[in-house]
Amino acid sequence: MVRTGTPSAGHQPASPLVWILPPVVTAACTVAAVVAVVQTARVPVAWCGAVATAAVLLIAGETARRGRAITALRRRHADQEAGLRRLMAEQEAETARLAEVLLPEAVARLQRGESAAEVLKSAAYEAELDPGFSAAHQAVLRTVVDAVVAEEDLRDSAQRAFVNIARRVQAIVHQQAQDLREMEHRHGEDPEVFGDLLHIDHGTALIGRLADSIAVLGGARPGRQWSQPVSMFSVLRGAMSRILDYQRVDLHSVAEVAVVGPAAEPLIHALAELLDNATRYSPPQTRVHLSATEVQSGVAVEIEDGGLGMGEEARERAEQVLTRSSAGIDLTDLGETPRLGLAVVGRLAQAYGFQVSLRPSAYAGVRAVMVIPGNVLTSVPPPRAVPRPGTMPPPRPMPTRPAQPRPGAQAPATVPAVAERQEQPAAVEHNAYGLPQRRRRGPAAVPRPGGVAAPASSPPAPARSAQAPSADPGRPVQPGIWLAAFQAGINGETPAPAGPARRPSDDSSEEGK
Amino acid sequence: MSGAGEETTDDGPERMYVITGGRSKAGGQDRLDLVTLVVARSQPEPGMPPEHTAIVRMCHYPLSVAEISAYLELPVSAVKVLLADLLAGGRVEARAPVPAASLPDIELLEAVMHGLQKL
Repeated sequence: MVRTGTPSAGHQPASPLVWILPPVVTAACTVAAVVAVVQTARVPVAWCGAVATAAVLLIAGETARRGRAITALRRRHADQEAGLRRLMAEQEAETARLAEVLLPEAVARLQRGESAAEVLKSAAYEAELDPGFSAAHQAVLRTVVDAVVAEEDLRDSAQRAFVNIARRVQAIVHQQAQDLREMEHRHGEDPEVFGDLLHIDHGTALIGRLADSIAVLGGARPGRQWSQPVSMFSVLRGAMSRILDYQRVDLHSVAEVAVVGPAAEPLIHALAELLDNATRYSPPQTRVHLSATEVQSGVAVEIEDGGLGMGEEARERAEQVLTRSSAGIDLTDLGETPRLGLAVVGRLAQAYGFQVSLRPSAYAGVRAVMVIPGNVLTSVPPPRAVPRPGTMPPPRPMPTRPAQPRPGAQAPATVPAVAERQEQPAAVEHNAYGLPQRRRRGPAAVPRPGGVAAPASSPPAPARSAQAPSADPGRPVQPGIWLAAFQAGINGETPAPAGPARRPSDDSSEEGK
Repeated sequence: MSGAGEETTDDGPERMYVITGGRSKAGGQDRLDLVTLVVARSQPEPGMPPEHTAIVRMCHYPLSVAEISAYLELPVSAVKVLLADLLAGGRVEARAPVPAASLPDIELLEAVMHGLQKL
């Protein structure tokens, strides 16, 4: 319309002159007619001509006037149209700004945890816009902000619920693992029971890993905390402990470093997930190779499997999962067959500065490399490995009797020492029978049995002596009791033997076990 | 347990089954007993697991299986599995637990006991 209007405006200057032409032509024709006709007809013809000329002049004048009016009108329309067009463009731009800038920014700020009121206040509009239009936009923004806030709240509470449940499972699993470890020590001599305990222990560790994964995806830390540095070897074997097929993992060279306490658990968990992927997606008869070598920026842990490998596309997708999950992943978009592993690894890697990459392996499978930054590494903690060999020499006097070094053994270990003692008596029994009896002879000898037998049983002694009487009758213990009573009678110590007389029975009942 | 009541640092993160490779009994090593004496036949090497290194190091002088178990704070079955590996690799040697020592002892003690009772 603008285009059609513009040419008509171009004709405009010519038009008033054009309208003079018809009256002029009519006047000329009239003059010619008057000259041409006979004398007698000249007057009527002249009249007619004059009237016609006047009429044409009139019409031409009117036409020209209307033409001018139309032109003015058209110009006004064009102006109006341009104004509307500008307004529309502004509003269009504003709507685009709402869609492309304001809303995403508002959502992002809400997700960062800013309050809805703050976000709304800061979303300012230009003043010259139509107030109605601005109000409508504000309303849109408010609706969206409200919806986002509601959704965020829902997600938060869902995540908190997930984390909470995971924490409870973790607590139970942790307790269970501790109990199992104690049981493993207690039943360490029976290979059948021990094997079954190991089996249950393994299953428990798998449950623990799943709970850890859920906690991590819910934005929490994985379960345990280590207050002391953990050696890399322990970290790797800790990761192996938590996967199903740990027996397929070959542990190769391991750098002599340790991981600081706070980073140990996330690292163990991330490595466990990578190892799980490696063992899960490779044939059961193949091995998975695990090694940790020092590199310039820290330590690189490599996990290589002999599986099918990943196509370039699959690899890109996996790495995308790794990077995207570090930006934050929803529990809701995990889908029905959740592949938690890489998402968890990505999360932990982002939080603790591990770099993870997946590459084709020399074994045709996948080679996952995780680079652990130097700032979470430290030197190997001495306590666990060094002091024990250091304390070794003292108990050396082993040669003839295995019973002799035992007092030395009690210092470093209490629980296994008890386990050991329960087994030992078979050999020592006869010695023990002779000695306590002799002790009774003189009170001065009493400290000695305390020196030999007490370290093992000294803490639970009161409980033992309480249990013993009930266990006494029917036990093949009588000889000792009889002898003790007999000798107590000989020595004439009536009240004192009551204590010692009971203790030998304790010893023997203990040994009888 | 060794951490003296600190529940966060009771043990390492590795579980027992990883240390023993999932085995609970030493295959073909029935002669390992609680009182079998173990002596190292080689020096520890860098690539060995810490438990193997510790056993080889502590068995520089003969130690019984029970003692190794106590020092390592590992159950006897687990120690037997580790020892079986070391024995198979020829890194340690197992010796019968001096059987001659026990028998005369019993007789002697019985003799002493009877003698005392006759007093």
